[in-house]
Amino acid sequence: MIAACGLVYELLAGTLASYLLGDSVLQFSTVIGSYLFAMGIGSYLSKFIGTGLVSKFVQIELMVGLIGGFSSTILFLGFAYTQGFRLLLYALVVVIGVLVGLEIPIMMRILKDRFEFRDLVAQVLTFDYLGALGASLLFPLWLVPKLGLVRGALFFGALNTLVALWTTYLFRERIGGLTRLRALCVAGLAALGVGLAYEHQILDLADSNLYADEVILARNTRYQRIVVTKWRDDVRLFLNAHLQFSSRDEHRYHEALVHPGMSAVAGARRALVLGGGDGLAVRELLRYPSVEQITLVDLDPEMTSLFRSHPLLTSLNRGALSHSKVRVINADAFTWLESNDEMFDFVVMDFPDPTNFSLGKLYTTAFYRLLGRHLAQGGLAVAQSTSPLFARQSFWCVAETMKQAGFQVYPYHAYVPSFGEWGFILAGKRPYSPPQDLPSGLRFLTPAMLPQLFEFPADMGPVPAAPNRLNDQTLVRYYEQEWSRIAR
Amino acid sequence: MRAESSQQTADHAELLDRRRLLSLGLVGLGPKTERPVQGRFVDDSHELAHRLRDRTIRALPKAEVRIPVVIVGAGIAGLSAAWWLERRGFRDFLLLELEKQPGGNSRWGENEVSAYPWGAHYLPLPNQESTLVRELCREFGLLDAQGSWQERHLCHSPQERLFLHGRWQEGLEPELGVTRKQRDQFRRFHEKMQQFRETRQFTLPMELGAKPSPLDRISFSEWLRQEGFDSPYLLWYVDYACRDDYGSRARDTSAWAGIHYFAARERAERGPLTWPEGNGWLVRKLLIKLAKYVRTQSMVGAIRRRQGRLSVEARETAYLAQAVIWAAPTFVLRYVFEECPDTSGLTYSPWLTANLTLDRMPAERDSERAWDNVLFDSPALGYVVATHQNLASRTERSVWTYYWALADQPPARIRQMLLEKDWHFWKEEILRDLERAHPDIRQCVSRIDILRLGHAMVRPYPGWIFGETRRRLLAWSSDIVLANSDLSGLSVFEEAQYRGVRAAERVLRRLGRT
Repeated sequence: MIAACGLVYELLAGTLASYLLGDSVLQFSTVIGSYLFAMGIGSYLSKFIGTGLVSKFVQIELMVGLIGGFSSTILFLGFAYTQGFRLLLYALVVVIGVLVGLEIPIMMRILKDRFEFRDLVAQVLTFDYLGALGASLLFPLWLVPKLGLVRGALFFGALNTLVALWTTYLFRERIGGLTRLRALCVAGLAALGVGLAYEHQILDLADSNLYADEVILARNTRYQRIVVTKWRDDVRLFLNAHLQFSSRDEHRYHEALVHPGMSAVAGARRALVLGGGDGLAVRELLRYPSVEQITLVDLDPEMTSLFRSHPLLTSLNRGALSHSKVRVINADAFTWLESNDEMFDFVVMDFPDPTNFSLGKLYTTAFYRLLGRHLAQGGLAVAQSTSPLFARQSFWCVAETMKQAGFQVYPYHAYVPSFGEWGFILAGKRPYSPPQDLPSGLRFLTPAMLPQLFEFPADMGPVPAAPNRLNDQTLVRYYEQEWSRIAR
Repeated sequence: MRAESSQQTADHAELLDRRRLLSLGLVGLGPKTERPVQGRFVDDSHELAHRLRDRTIRALPKAEVRIPVVIVGAGIAGLSAAWWLERRGFRDFLLLELEKQPGGNSRWGENEVSAYPWGAHYLPLPNQESTLVRELCREFGLLDAQGSWQERHLCHSPQERLFLHGRWQEGLEPELGVTRKQRDQFRRFHEKMQQFRETRQFTLPMELGAKPSPLDRISFSEWLRQEGFDSPYLLWYVDYACRDDYGSRARDTSAWAGIHYFAARERAERGPLTWPEGNGWLVRKLLIKLAKYVRTQSMVGAIRRRQGRLSVEARETAYLAQAVIWAAPTFVLRYVFEECPDTSGLTYSPWLTANLTLDRMPAERDSERAWDNVLFDSPALGYVVATHQNLASRTERSVWTYYWALADQPPARIRQMLLEKDWHFWKEEILRDLERAHPDIRQCVSRIDILRLGHAMVRPYPGWIFGETRRRLLAWSSDIVLANSDLSGLSVFEEAQYRGVRAAERVLRRLGRT
């Protein structure tokens, strides 16, 4: 049992380190090496323990239980809050190793009067190695899949503490201060129990500190985790830890998303925004007096209500979501489009990047064909289409997909500092040329610069790409390949 | 806890109890309370059908209906016969179906979460030679005039994944932990299959190309052994294919049939076509025009010769017909018709299909749920997600269809077991299997309905495809025309449709309407 627990902490540390730091070969070798070395130190130190062996043994067990039990928690928090994760990791491994190294010599000395020496060595070591086998099998097959790293460690900590408690019972006649020891054990168990009960909150704590700036709002909705951070006048929105905008340069993104298309549809009355629950694209659309109604379709009701009510956020979108011309619908874009036959003069697709097959559906020929049925005569649609610089083939894949769906496409790009070079694709069933006029009050776009947006430097220019269809989502594969080359 | 003497075992037991108590009370580590799972067996007609076998049906028909053609069995073969008769402008026929619902192996169910299949759940994209399937697809708007397929109904990405060595991989061909040598075997295997494809003997429908072959005399396992294929991954993959398509292990499958599975279709196709209710979608479409001809819950108890006609007796009615299309499983004919040819060589594989209603999806780590999800080394075939074709980017509730070809023991033994074991037994088997890949499955499932199929599909065991029984059945000429796909030895949509249409043509010729 002791061997099992000891090995589990070592495996946990190794797994956690490879999980957080990568390079599992390095992490596992160094963790195992330093752990074994520390056990050696522990064995050496055991000779300095003279009397009260059983009570020392109980204390050691208890310490192993507590430190080992909280090791994953400490490491997770340490990774989020401190710079010295590695230091912490090896310190923990060494402390646990020393304590576990103390255990066996002490146990052998406790039992030396009960057995012949050769029986003692044989039995102790047999069970030690047997425990190790048990732990190494239990760890990948049951512990990690069923309990996870944090709860698994706490669970084994509790087991260690129980061993301590049990020892006080077995050797009750050889221990002084029995009550005190037992009370300590129960207190330790209680602490681990609290850890288990509040494991989620602890992890959230770790999570919130992964953001660089102060988190002013964090909410888990049915669909996503919404986090808003603020540093001086910079407000940032993260969905599932992906940056959506920074208030410092979102105007560049949203002006580029909306105006090149919208200004080219004379007298556009009905506009549709798919995704974009932050209301920032809607804010840009409200600059056009001709607009009679703007429909925003976003999946997450908590997202749209947040951006309708939170003062900091409504100051960003200038209360766009409460405007009388704006209708907010919380629905899935694909199914919503399929369920009605409303027509629109201008459509904005502001979806998250196609990071998975579920999101990839919103960039397929099937989706664009359906969209085409909602586009009024002479209307235009625009889609944010990831970065033509970082994900060049993904960008041109979106263009190709729209072409296959029967559109003429007009790709363009703009520089948004927090994202880098970003791409958009305008689509319509008619020829397009950049408009001569833009609404007043824009901070980024000027009519003169518009034609340049449609020029692509050589390193972002068209590349061949297969269209993205529901039954073979090429885009998700391109995207994964391209971003994995850059993301660390 | 080591070096204990034996007298301490009593303490040990006490400790365990105390530990459980402590862990329950203090730490809250007791097993998560399991949600109660509801469900039942949904099959109820096998008892009725067994009365046929035991010849305990005594009711005499009270009414008489004269009708030129009766089709028995409203599965794909029977419905396709009706489809063809209708298209030819022939409307004097009826379809008699034993079950409450038409569809046969393509029947389906529906609950508040989704429609779901009870059997066949997809249609591979038909080759050029499968002209009838292509025609049906054109009629239903699946294939347009330019030859492109309706994207909406093609299986969306990701299509298949395999749970292997504790994690999911994309695709069903094992890749995780497969050595270069073993990969070479896969390559060589596919090359072999390509060579067979090029012989043009492996076609759908099979009758177009099939030529008697010694390959039918050995099992698929034997063929693989002779060809030097021994990678356990390849052998698993091939065995999986046999269980999936024929309900039999590779060792019990004719090598010709096994090869047919791989060689009859192009590898590059981007299919298949699929729908929430599986091939029930095709049945629904067929029924738009054909429902008015169908009489459900009409088990045919006997067919006799009377007044120079065939008297087809179902419940309280005798249908006096000039010709009968027998689209029900061929082996049943011997219980109702005296002149039935010898069907003793026909063997059928037993199956179990379960539909699991999930109130939430199990957690996924590093993998996206596919349409077809297979567990390596599972006795069953895995599960198909009924909501996969939903367009919404997020599904919270779902229905999974779990398929299990019970192929490890002789079919008769399995049928006995299907009758003996109760619902709880199968429920536990299913959850235990799925739990390997989805530890939290028990917290997600609220309902498991189970369909037991004693004779789910014909089994192409070695010697059957080009054997005596099948040859005799095909040559049998009577005013009862056989139409079930078991005549092909391959229980697939394409064969059922082809046999049904062929039977309809023969009947029209018999009636002098060509």
